[in-house]
Amino acid sequence: MTDGDGAGSSGSPPRVELEGITKRFPGIVANDDVDLELRAREIHAIIGENGAGKSTLMRVLYGMYPADGGRILVDGGEVKIGSPRDALALGIGMVHQHFVLVDPFTVTENIILGEEGESVLDMGSARQRVADLAGSYGFRIDPAAAVEDLSVGEEQRVEILKALYRGAKILILDEPTAVLTPSETKELFENLRKLRDSGESVVFISHKLDEVLDIADRITVLRRGRVVGETTPSETTKANLAEMMVGRPVLFRLEKPRTQIGPPILQVEDIAAQGKLDGVSLTVRAGEILGVAGVEGNGQRELAEAVIGLRHPTSGRVVVDGVDIAGWPVAEIRNAGVAYVPEDRHGQGLVLDMSVWENAVLGRQDDRDMSSRLGVLAIRKMKELAARLISLFDVRTRGIDAKASTLSGGNQQKLILARELENDPKLLIAAQPTRGLDVGAIEFVWRQILDQKAAGRAILLISAELDEIYALSDRIVTIYEGRITGEFPPDVEPERLGTAMLGRTVGAEVA
Amino acid sequence: MPLTDISVAMQISFTYFTVLYLTGLGGLFSERSGIVNIGLEGLMIIGTVTGAWGARYFTDTLDLGLPWGPLLGLLAGAIAGMLFASIHAVSTITFRVDHIVSGVVINLVAVGLARFLSQAFFGQATQSDPGGPHLDRIAIPLLSDLPWGLGRAFSNLSPVVLLAAFTVVPAWWALNRLRWGLRLRSCGENPEAARSLGIRVSPYRFEGVLLSGALAGTSGAFLASEVIGNWREGQTLGLGFIALAALIISNWNPVRLMFFAWLFGFAQAIPLRLNDAPLISALPPQFIRMIPYVVTIVAIAGFVGRVRPPASAGKAYEGAGGI
Amino acid sequence: MATRTIEPRSRVEPNRSAWVENVAGQLLALVLSLTIALGFGALLVLAYGENPFDVYGAILSYSLGSLDGFGYVLAIATPLIFSALAVAICFKGGMFNIGVEGQYLVGMVTAAWAALSLGFLPPPLQVVGVLLAGMLGGMLWASVPAVLKVTTGAHEVVTTIMMNGIAVSLLAWALNYPLRFSQAPVGQNVDLRTDEFPETALIGDMGRVFGITSGAHLSWLLLLAIVLAIVVWFLLRRTRLGYEGRAVGSAPGAAKAGGISIAATQLRLFLISGALAGLVGMQQILADRGYLGTNYIAQLGFTGIAVAFLGQNNPIAIIFAAILWGILSRGEVALQIETEVPREFIIILQGILILSVVITYQIAKRRLAARQLQRAGAAGALEDSAALADTDEPLSDVTPVRREEA
Repeated sequence: MTDGDGAGSSGSPPRVELEGITKRFPGIVANDDVDLELRAREIHAIIGENGAGKSTLMRVLYGMYPADGGRILVDGGEVKIGSPRDALALGIGMVHQHFVLVDPFTVTENIILGEEGESVLDMGSARQRVADLAGSYGFRIDPAAAVEDLSVGEEQRVEILKALYRGAKILILDEPTAVLTPSETKELFENLRKLRDSGESVVFISHKLDEVLDIADRITVLRRGRVVGETTPSETTKANLAEMMVGRPVLFRLEKPRTQIGPPILQVEDIAAQGKLDGVSLTVRAGEILGVAGVEGNGQRELAEAVIGLRHPTSGRVVVDGVDIAGWPVAEIRNAGVAYVPEDRHGQGLVLDMSVWENAVLGRQDDRDMSSRLGVLAIRKMKELAARLISLFDVRTRGIDAKASTLSGGNQQKLILARELENDPKLLIAAQPTRGLDVGAIEFVWRQILDQKAAGRAILLISAELDEIYALSDRIVTIYEGRITGEFPPDVEPERLGTAMLGRTVGAEVA
Repeated sequence: MPLTDISVAMQISFTYFTVLYLTGLGGLFSERSGIVNIGLEGLMIIGTVTGAWGARYFTDTLDLGLPWGPLLGLLAGAIAGMLFASIHAVSTITFRVDHIVSGVVINLVAVGLARFLSQAFFGQATQSDPGGPHLDRIAIPLLSDLPWGLGRAFSNLSPVVLLAAFTVVPAWWALNRLRWGLRLRSCGENPEAARSLGIRVSPYRFEGVLLSGALAGTSGAFLASEVIGNWREGQTLGLGFIALAALIISNWNPVRLMFFAWLFGFAQAIPLRLNDAPLISALPPQFIRMIPYVVTIVAIAGFVGRVRPPASAGKAYEGAGGI
Repeated sequence: MATRTIEPRSRVEPNRSAWVENVAGQLLALVLSLTIALGFGALLVLAYGENPFDVYGAILSYSLGSLDGFGYVLAIATPLIFSALAVAICFKGGMFNIGVEGQYLVGMVTAAWAALSLGFLPPPLQVVGVLLAGMLGGMLWASVPAVLKVTTGAHEVVTTIMMNGIAVSLLAWALNYPLRFSQAPVGQNVDLRTDEFPETALIGDMGRVFGITSGAHLSWLLLLAIVLAIVVWFLLRRTRLGYEGRAVGSAPGAAKAGGISIAATQLRLFLISGALAGLVGMQQILADRGYLGTNYIAQLGFTGIAVAFLGQNNPIAIIFAAILWGILSRGEVALQIETEVPREFIIILQGILILSVVITYQIAKRRLAARQLQRAGAAGALEDSAALADTDEPLSDVTPVRREEA
């Protein structure tokens, strides 16, 4: 274990020690004999791929799960943390990746919930306390605002304040930058540094190596539930970290095929949808991948839904291969050659309770060869199709009769992809196609998308992962608050892209 | 159409307001804690049979006389409702049965259980002897002296009517000014948030459901002992569901619920007192009896888009697709 | 550049063991809940001062102990099968049809009208006409909440119950006016009912064929019920509507994204459900009595819900669930004749049974799901225990595909 000499840690005794923590779930070992040490006045990053066990480890520390083995020491003494209440009592607070805020409540109500003081509420003095707390750390927030009116960055501040209000000295942040714009990330990092300097220990869970190298004092790397390395930013490089995370050199760029760019297949003209889309226009041509970059929640989902027909824009046109599809039902838009890989795999992509083969034919059940005129299904044909797709896309499953819920995320995505591509679509909408997937699945999906491009399809790629945008796109546009804020070539500098993602409209540049 | 008829219809509407408001309020606490409760009808049924028994038992058998007898009868209804509601609570909270499925079961079992209890209490399966004891009627001062027969609307009312109307005060206060209320509401809006802050969600939900049992049970007891005078199978007439509809349309707000409980209460009065009204008198009597149900359907169909249920209230309003 | 650069890796075999496991799990849950219910029932019997074995023995002997007894059981079960099928088909589509109660009342009205008006048709067609009229009445009644649901989103639980209330009044009106007993002297207090239906409109006694007493009124409707159960099974499992219905009921978002029209699918299922509900009353008016009167048997709609739960909304299981229910109901007679235990005991027993069924099925479902996930995990692909265990998604064992390029 290297003796860290980062900006904050001063060789002080560890605040928290995790010794030999093991945690199992049905069928997997999420944490396997993990040792970890957190010091005062440090920002400690825990990195690893999706599934490495980072969140699980911190949830054990926060009392959300009981550990199956190992022990936890706080300030030198062994403790039992059976619930978040115990954790909070010990000064450990956690900000989850998916915020747990009560939308209709105000900021103050959310912060004091569970820690209200007396049984009769005194909202006036509570608001004052919240305002004072925020002020003391330099956080910008309005205590009386309703949470559902806040921006994502502000919501995160509320989450942090929740922990600080309870006297947290150790603050755990789980993938905090996943939903922030570059400038909100900057503000967050400033706040974190202020917290560290005032004595807090901050744990920063992430898989974003650039950010980690920027903010962390020490870094612990997890892989498949085990600690595989511990280092500091000054002693390592991004490539080195990546290798530790994955165990082998990772390809960050795939070779993009050169194709003939054909006629426009998708033309979106100035579409608006209540509150979420405010005049979006874009064009995607055959053989081209258009990357729509933006932080989640800026209208991407609504854009995808407008093109596939799940949402009818209140104005504007959507033209597919020369045909205006406005107001068409989903089934007809699909028949016109549009395929959709949704960002919400479980909510829009699969019927989890149905079997793998039934999911493989979703959307095809009224094809001429899949069901008779009276409506009787040709089950054998359907199963054959399913078997072929599964085999072709290497979907790992116990059998085509197994429920779709038993597939891993990566295999579910492959199933969806296989199904959508089977129809030889002219246009493929891929929304956050690799979210939550491990590296192997990500490479597979990227390869599939590039193959589609090579075959002359038009691809609308919507993603919040800049890596993905850069790896695949022929042209990039940025979306912010429902408007397209810029158009860029595929080699644009990330800073310019980030600025546009933030809303500063940049003059359009032609590739 | 004499004013007295409208007046009496109003009087009846206040009575049914009591039934609907108490039941609806019960449903409110349950649903805002996150447990959808369509078993309100069943809870009321248990309240009716127990209330009818209790009023007689405490007033006559134990010879406690008025007002203690009937009051204890109401209490009996409340307790019975609470006990019965605990079934719904255990199955939805502990065993995570789908809320609507459990509610349907509650309604099914209540009918049978009521018969069973009736047999045990009254020796008859489907009704009890009429003319049971009830609280002395009161007249609201000032309002009951209104001229032209209008005063009748405010006279000869059971005191429980006033009590029911006043419950809006503690109900609103508990929900919005008590720590308990804040936590209860958080369990219904985002139980994850509550859990992450160390709040145990189950106890609040249990309390919400038990409260719904107590209130619906009281409402049923009121109906049987104060309004009708005995227990009869089927006397709840779907009022539990009408209360549910009123709850939904009032957006789960205790103050708004007062208005809609009264409105639906008035619809109940129409077949009872306003059959001679213009338009209505042209309908055959059986069609007039349909009016309260039609009113409810129209109201629910019209308002449904504009209400926002507690975000985490059951998987209910989506359908289950299988147990 | 090749469009597919992957070699097929996994071999896919149809996997039957998951299905077997599911069925076994459900049967186990059923047995368990029966045991619990019978256990509680036994306690109650003891409280009455009787011997549970005597009581249960009496129930069994009156239902399964003789051919006639079994005939009664089947006659009780017949309408329950229709009722439960109606409930189940909606359930699969994600909807709660609590309105079977009202739908069958209206079905009886329309069927009664048809029985009295279709005399001009040749006999076999007459019966068909009457049955169709019943189905149409139920469908009509179901269409109101169905349309309201798909257009305004009004939740069908409230609307169907309201329709039930309206149906009661409608039936009363029908008996007072259009279908009134034609020989009733005006103003006299007669038991309200229709005229007797012509012989040719009635459903024949099937029990006679098996040597069962005609008192049981076991009619050919049972055969129809079994056939329809099979039809419903086929519909759900082997047709487009069933597939789309199940998708909508289970994951409406994915169904919609896949191009399925939620409104159209739900509407169709609801109407079919109404048609099935319309047949519930046929046993009493066409086989038992031959007329429709105010003494009609009610509650069959709600009992149908119980039977549907008992059969876990599986059309074939529903047949057996209905028979089980029939055995218990027949037990009321046994209790009255053979024991001192009041017949309300049966109702309590049925209530406890439903409760324990619903709870044990829920527990069984979750245990099964966890086991299946576990097994899938052993095979190496288990990121979705994440959804169940609320954790971050663990790595799968899938090794990435090797590509030969640099």
